[in-house]
Amino acid sequence: MLAPPPLPASASAPRAGARAAGTWLAAAAVALLALFPVLVARPYPLHMGVVLFLAVLEAAAWNLVGGIAGQYSVGHAVYFGAGAYAAVMLLERLGIAPWWGIWAAALCAVLLGLVVGTITLRLRGPYFVLASIAAAEVARLAVLHFRAFTHGAQGFVVAEPPVLRLPGLSLTFDGKRPFYYLTLALAVLAVAVNRAVLRSRLGYQLLAVREDQDAAHSLGIRLSLVKNQALAISAALTGVAGAVFAGYSRFIDPDTVFSLTDVSVPMVLYCLAGGAGTVEGPVVGALLLVPVSEALRNPRGLVSLGLLPAGSGVVGFVERHLSQAHQLVYGLLLVLIVLFAPEGVAGLLRRLLRRSRARPRPAPPPA
Amino acid sequence: MPQRLRGLVLAAGLLLPPPGLAVEKVKLGFVNSMTGPEAPIGENLTHGADLAVEDLRREGIEVELSRQDDGGKQQNAMSAVEELATGEGVAAIVGPYTSASANAVVSLAQQYQVPLLIPAAAKEELTRPGKPYVFRLNAPAHVYAEALLDAVLAVGKPRTIAFIYESTDFGTSVSAAGKELAARRGLRVVADEAYQQGAPDYRSTLTRIKALRPDLVFMVSYVADAILLMRQSRELRLEPQAFLGGGAGFDTAQFQGEHDISELVFSVTQWTPDTGWPGAAEFAARYAARFGKKPTYHAACAYEAVRIAAQAAARVGGDPRKTRDALAAGSFSGVLGAVRFESFDGFMNQNRHAMPVIQYQDGRAQTVSPPEFARRKPVYPFPGWK
Amino acid sequence: MILFLQSLLSGVLMGGVYALVGIGLTLVFGVMRIVNFAHGELVMLGMYLAWFLFTRLGWDPYLSLVVVAPALFLWGALLQAAVVGRALHALPENQMLLTIGLGLAMSNAAMLAFTADYRILTTSYSSSGLQVLGLSVSEPMLAAFLVAVGVTAGLYLFLLRTDTGRAIRATAQDREAAQLMGIDVRRMSLVAFGLGAALAGTAGALVSPTYYIYPQVGGAFTLKAFVIVVLGGMGSVVGATLGGLLVGVTESLAAVYVASDLKELVVYSLFLLVLVARPSGLLGKARA
Repeated sequence: MLAPPPLPASASAPRAGARAAGTWLAAAAVALLALFPVLVARPYPLHMGVVLFLAVLEAAAWNLVGGIAGQYSVGHAVYFGAGAYAAVMLLERLGIAPWWGIWAAALCAVLLGLVVGTITLRLRGPYFVLASIAAAEVARLAVLHFRAFTHGAQGFVVAEPPVLRLPGLSLTFDGKRPFYYLTLALAVLAVAVNRAVLRSRLGYQLLAVREDQDAAHSLGIRLSLVKNQALAISAALTGVAGAVFAGYSRFIDPDTVFSLTDVSVPMVLYCLAGGAGTVEGPVVGALLLVPVSEALRNPRGLVSLGLLPAGSGVVGFVERHLSQAHQLVYGLLLVLIVLFAPEGVAGLLRRLLRRSRARPRPAPPPA
Repeated sequence: MPQRLRGLVLAAGLLLPPPGLAVEKVKLGFVNSMTGPEAPIGENLTHGADLAVEDLRREGIEVELSRQDDGGKQQNAMSAVEELATGEGVAAIVGPYTSASANAVVSLAQQYQVPLLIPAAAKEELTRPGKPYVFRLNAPAHVYAEALLDAVLAVGKPRTIAFIYESTDFGTSVSAAGKELAARRGLRVVADEAYQQGAPDYRSTLTRIKALRPDLVFMVSYVADAILLMRQSRELRLEPQAFLGGGAGFDTAQFQGEHDISELVFSVTQWTPDTGWPGAAEFAARYAARFGKKPTYHAACAYEAVRIAAQAAARVGGDPRKTRDALAAGSFSGVLGAVRFESFDGFMNQNRHAMPVIQYQDGRAQTVSPPEFARRKPVYPFPGWK
Repeated sequence: MILFLQSLLSGVLMGGVYALVGIGLTLVFGVMRIVNFAHGELVMLGMYLAWFLFTRLGWDPYLSLVVVAPALFLWGALLQAAVVGRALHALPENQMLLTIGLGLAMSNAAMLAFTADYRILTTSYSSSGLQVLGLSVSEPMLAAFLVAVGVTAGLYLFLLRTDTGRAIRATAQDREAAQLMGIDVRRMSLVAFGLGAALAGTAGALVSPTYYIYPQVGGAFTLKAFVIVVLGGMGSVVGATLGGLLVGVTESLAAVYVASDLKELVVYSLFLLVLVARPSGLLGKARA
């Protein structure tokens, strides 16, 4: 990530050059990731890939509302859960295969997003944050209560999805590889959506809303319209993430997929830690926090990924001293990020990069 | 000594290995909730497993137990099983503790053909047929309700029953089985109250139940809610003919310690020290001496599950598939009585475990049912609060 | 009728304690505009401290308030000085990240210190009830309610009558103006965070004889405090008091007349409804 960018094509357009270089780097990284399962057949690394891509997908989806539009929803579990339940219940009750169910999941999440958005998006600051939490809790409690329809706390064990038959191709969704490619593609899609939105008219309107709602309003931006548009796209992607999670984990219950602490909060953390409102922020945040929390939880995983030698003292140290403290370390890490990398780790990296680049040549005055 | 024979002898726990005999090495996975909301229970499983590893060493089986924390989250449980089954090459996996985590990993165990021995999760579906690599040591949810109701119906003639239970998988499964059974035994269900765990105040719910004057109050609650519910029942003078506690929170040392509220409450459990199961009393004593508290059934279940998995694996030299066959075919004996994994009544590889029913009498948990384990006669009806 | 009155009574008693938790959060928000996601963890620390004093020294939980409240005050002030204060000018989302991190760190540190076990604090009056006019009044809850009322009254007097109290209110009204008037805003932030923590700890100690204690117990209180504070209007102490009682009574009545497992859903729905009608809460000012 810190590799020096190639020399810009012309000195007058260093930014465009850097951006193009970034795109090429990203494309190369995705190509490498796509080759990874060909080179590595062991399930554990592939599983970590799925977990990571899902995190990128969720963080990038949240970024549209939380980062770009500045509406810090801490209740995105409502869309995640709705997506998961929509896909699973269609499969269980009507036998509709998940590749159709995934669209239903997105649709369901969008409809729910419109309802929740209508109620909450008028609110500002902490009022919005807390209302979004309340909305997700209402969903969780309702799904727990109405057992006849939802199975309540017992949840759904997800049946094996039928084989997907396309002309000249049949896909089975068991094992890691299909999910690896599916989640990789979705993560790339979500990041691309972020990029497209940021460059669109909608993106500029959302940025204006984030900076100053009243000013944006007086400029003629229809606040609730643009905020709801961002939420709709975000909810759709989050709903898809929920549906894929359900298919992958093969079991869902309300306390898992509508969870405040396990779903709503992590996607916010990834995004904020990486750098909210940027294209690379959610990716960097997920790349940082997911491996850190897994390595702290299970240091032996690093050995089996080949990142540490078998007899490494690190494993012993983490197991001896941190086996119950990994959440503590995680919490402290978040505090440190806020104090020392307030614009997210991506921002910190960019700042360092800029400084190291500025050194050989006196920096031009900022535009 | 031929390996199989040695395994059998060890399994019966009759002999220590002769000195000089090569020690059998076995690698097992252990998935548990060491952090997160289930951590208080997870700790009991951890201690149980610790003791099992020590005892196995004395039997001549050197267990390398690869422990993984799932924090009560399915995704972590899946990561753990992936890693154990494919990265570390374990012979078998013991765990996870929670039903939700266990549910998420049964298909992985099946896929990687590594036996999964579930020590204490109660969800019925876990050992449904079609998953030959999944085994369960403890009795599933419906047995909780059956054992309790049968114990009370043997001594009294209640006509109405009220259910109050946490709205979790465990709570709804046990009470659903209870309601069905109550209807079959001619009891009228007058209240059916699910609640969200962790609320500090259940007084209004209990007031409502009191107004319905049920003969039996059947509660399914987690550790601390059980104490809260009983405290508030006493405060409000809710006085049915019997309080039935569906396991979990009603079967802890802490609950027993609350003499004001635990006296004469019935509970059901997977294990007690006084059932006469081989080594049970001695296990309880050693556990208490070592960890400074009484073992819960979770501890005993984890202890026995690690022992059984290790013994089965040692018999066949640590190959996961052969370990599966050894588990399926073997019969074991220990602190949970005789253990065999059988197919019956819509279950597969399920230990047909009979659950003891206890009643707190004079501040102690006494086994009062079924007759083969009973040490005391149950006190019925409840005479009212002091 | 008895059923209604009994539920109302339990709701009011519980509401008094909720109010205390809410007032602590609202003070911190009023003065510093920080939504403290770690507020419940401060309640948790108060509970553990009360439990520790009870089991080791035999102190009654109500007596232990004389230690719990000052200790939590100092801890809160320290957190403010060392961590939260540094992020006062950070973006709101970063403050959120910060307090979530602090909360995780506190609850997991408590787990390392006290293990994950549930701790039950059993006093002679933990399950006692007074029978009054056919109603059962929980003794520990009544005591907790009375202490909560006393503490709240004391806090009102402090905020209304003392110079420091006035300075805190001025800072809450307009931080810059207060600074221009010569108020030491940094010191007021320390006092406010300390007071918020002390109130949270007090509430923790007050419920400890009837509730149970474990490292993750704070989460439920954080959420409830949010609802209470937003219902009342963020930054409004009177609003938080009302909000606490409202949440307590709503929960209690909903458990009887709707369903036990829907009482929180009713509270959250009420909360959303109030916000639809009044986007800044019942007693909040027009703009947050």
